[in-house]
Amino acid sequence: MNPDLDQTFAALADPTRRAVVGLLRQGPHRSSEMATALATSRPAMSRHLRVLRRAGLVEEEGLDDDARVRIYQLCREPFAGLRAWLDEVEGFWADQLRAFKAHAERKPGKRRP
Amino acid sequence: MSAGDQARVSLLVAVAPAAAFRIFTEEIDAWWRRGLKYRLAGRGRGIIHLEAGVGGRLFESFDAGGETRVVETGRVTGWDPPARVVFEWRAANFAPAEATEVEVLFQPSAGGTSTLVTVTHRGWSRIRPDHPVRHGLEVEAFIRSMGMWWGDLMTSLREHAEG
Repeated sequence: MNPDLDQTFAALADPTRRAVVGLLRQGPHRSSEMATALATSRPAMSRHLRVLRRAGLVEEEGLDDDARVRIYQLCREPFAGLRAWLDEVEGFWADQLRAFKAHAERKPGKRRP
Repeated sequence: MSAGDQARVSLLVAVAPAAAFRIFTEEIDAWWRRGLKYRLAGRGRGIIHLEAGVGGRLFESFDAGGETRVVETGRVTGWDPPARVVFEWRAANFAPAEATEVEVLFQPSAGGTSTLVTVTHRGWSRIRPDHPVRHGLEVEAFIRSMGMWWGDLMTSLREHAEG
């Protein structure tokens, strides 16, 4: 369990940063590529990436042949913490839906809309 | 993780969408699970209500020392029978402006004789970062203070965290 779930939530409280995470789930991207894809200015994208990096959600890597080009990718660990929380929420609703199904299917003759 | 901060669960129910929608909303107290994990009143005589239409309340009423208490979880923000209902989901210690959102979709299946019911609970990242329950707390304490519904979950989560 990750103790920084708090920071994870804060970093993801922004729609652009959630979109960045969505892009990075497909694979590593350059900052400039993501700015273009999300119609965001490069400075704004840099700020979003900084927040995500500080939250430990993404990491950057310099290319061997050009240290100025940074490639961003997702870190897996913080998402495990968030995922564990969402798993609990899903468990709650799965229980509820099973109870709903059992009730709804119990008296089919009385269920004409 | 499907989209950052949402939980989603689906289940196929062998009744038509219109019936599924009606039973889900009108008969919510009959199927909503009992026990402290699901209700403030636990196995006591609390009643869950979901009022029809946008602005309707999702709340539990229960007897507390001879008087009826009402605890509201949220308001209906989307009401499109028989396809969809949306309501806010707010734990006891959320600020008035803070709420997560639950959307329930009823999609016809098997030629309309069955319904695929999908619950999406989103907005967990929207709770303000400086919320007292989130400030400097370990995740376990954060989760404990998130809600009134999660009694059993904390135990399992703690076991998960310590296991």
